Amino acid sequence: MSAGAGGLAGAANRIITRGFDGRWDQLEAMQLPAASAVAVGDNHDAARAVWAAATGDLEVLVASRSRLTPDLAEGLRDAGLAVVDGDRVDAPTTARDATPGRVWLLTSGSTGRPKQVAHTLASLTTVAGDQPRRTWLCPYAHGAYAWWQVVTLSIAHPGQDVLFIEPDELDTWPARALEVGVTAASGTPTFWRQALYRDPDSVAALPLEQVTLGGEPVDQAILTRLTEMFPAARVSWIYASSEAGATIAVHDGRAGFPQEWLGREMEGRATLTVDDGELLIASPKRGEGIDRVLRTGDRVEVVDGRVLITGRIASDEINVGGAKASASAVRDVLQAHPAVAWASVRGRKAPIVGSMVTADVVLSGEATTAELTAWCSERLPDYSVPRRVRFLDQIPIKETLKSDV
Amino acid sequence: MSALSRDAIRTMMAEVLQAQGKSMPESDSANLEEIGFRSLDFSELALRVEDEIGDELNFDAPELRQIATISDVLDFLEQLQAA
Repeated sequence: MSAGAGGLAGAANRIITRGFDGRWDQLEAMQLPAASAVAVGDNHDAARAVWAAATGDLEVLVASRSRLTPDLAEGLRDAGLAVVDGDRVDAPTTARDATPGRVWLLTSGSTGRPKQVAHTLASLTTVAGDQPRRTWLCPYAHGAYAWWQVVTLSIAHPGQDVLFIEPDELDTWPARALEVGVTAASGTPTFWRQALYRDPDSVAALPLEQVTLGGEPVDQAILTRLTEMFPAARVSWIYASSEAGATIAVHDGRAGFPQEWLGREMEGRATLTVDDGELLIASPKRGEGIDRVLRTGDRVEVVDGRVLITGRIASDEINVGGAKASASAVRDVLQAHPAVAWASVRGRKAPIVGSMVTADVVLSGEATTAELTAWCSERLPDYSVPRRVRFLDQIPIKETLKSDV
Repeated sequence: MSALSRDAIRTMMAEVLQAQGKSMPESDSANLEEIGFRSLDFSELALRVEDEIGDELNFDAPELRQIATISDVLDFLEQLQAA
């Protein structure tokens, strides 16, 4: 992608944030050093930082202010980035030349301190070719990989408008999306579950042509629900990460991807393999310095010709008296119950057997613990059936739109 | 929160059995194997007790012993709460 507004094909696309409604090229420029990490409080500031970097060929990292902890900010300054927060600019503590066009992303940090992954606007732009005119909803956290995917789509392709929503608008976005004319929306399964739980009628009223899910394991129950709600829409799920980039896109409304995709080598596409139950990806869209073949840490399972990505290997297994229960398998069974809007499953330390399977559940209909237990007993081995079920009033959702609470 | 009485633990044990489609016999001398009260059920009962008293039970505290009857289970959990 070339620098300068003239080289950005989406410069005239409309973007709507809480403080702005106009074209990319009408954003007030943010004055940034040649290499900076920008702490943003909202999508307006985030968009201004992106536009400054895209038109000025700058090196940049964009992150929510809440993510840039003092420790992390210090590490970024050590890595040669100025840390910008409003009018305040903390100079880098290590002097080096900026790398024009470099875009840094922070990993989710779910397995420790966030790491920086190096990309460019081009490597973050994963959609190619002519695109149908759309107005996208972008609910993702500022600077996250999925957020950049929507942003780069809008910058690189004409006719891709975006409505950005802030974390505190997650309860009210459907009305705003209807008003703005959103026709495409991307979110995590937890985002969609929460939206359908809170206000299904408002969500159903949206004239969506494209529904996209990603960021968490995507199960059949939520795909089916969205496919039924939006019969005219294409319902897709995307597998992506800061390290590997966007590597899998499935558009047939089914969970998992076809088994024949394993081992397939195609120009410009990721090559997917499985080793000892773990998904391995060789991705042309990977971040700089990332292993060519990346061990994802995600468990996969082949069922009826589909490769299902079930969850993180490190946190999925619950050892119940020597038997291995899969938290994601139990979660999927619970979420397939017609009265369950959302479920989270984890192990809990227990005497004799070491740990037991427990579940947090949000109901959208009527169901008792006994009924959920019976439902699970019919579908799971006895050691996998949750022995403690806690009912919550709301679906917990983090700023990442995930529910790994 | 105060410790649960033997009767309260007995009621919980009946609930655990009931959730598994089994019934609690009247006699506390009933054999656990015969009534189908397995290690998973025992563990669940312990978690229920923990949730009720709001504290974790310390299973390392009492001496290990054979737990073969309903009475053994109730004795053991009573003792654990006091540990």
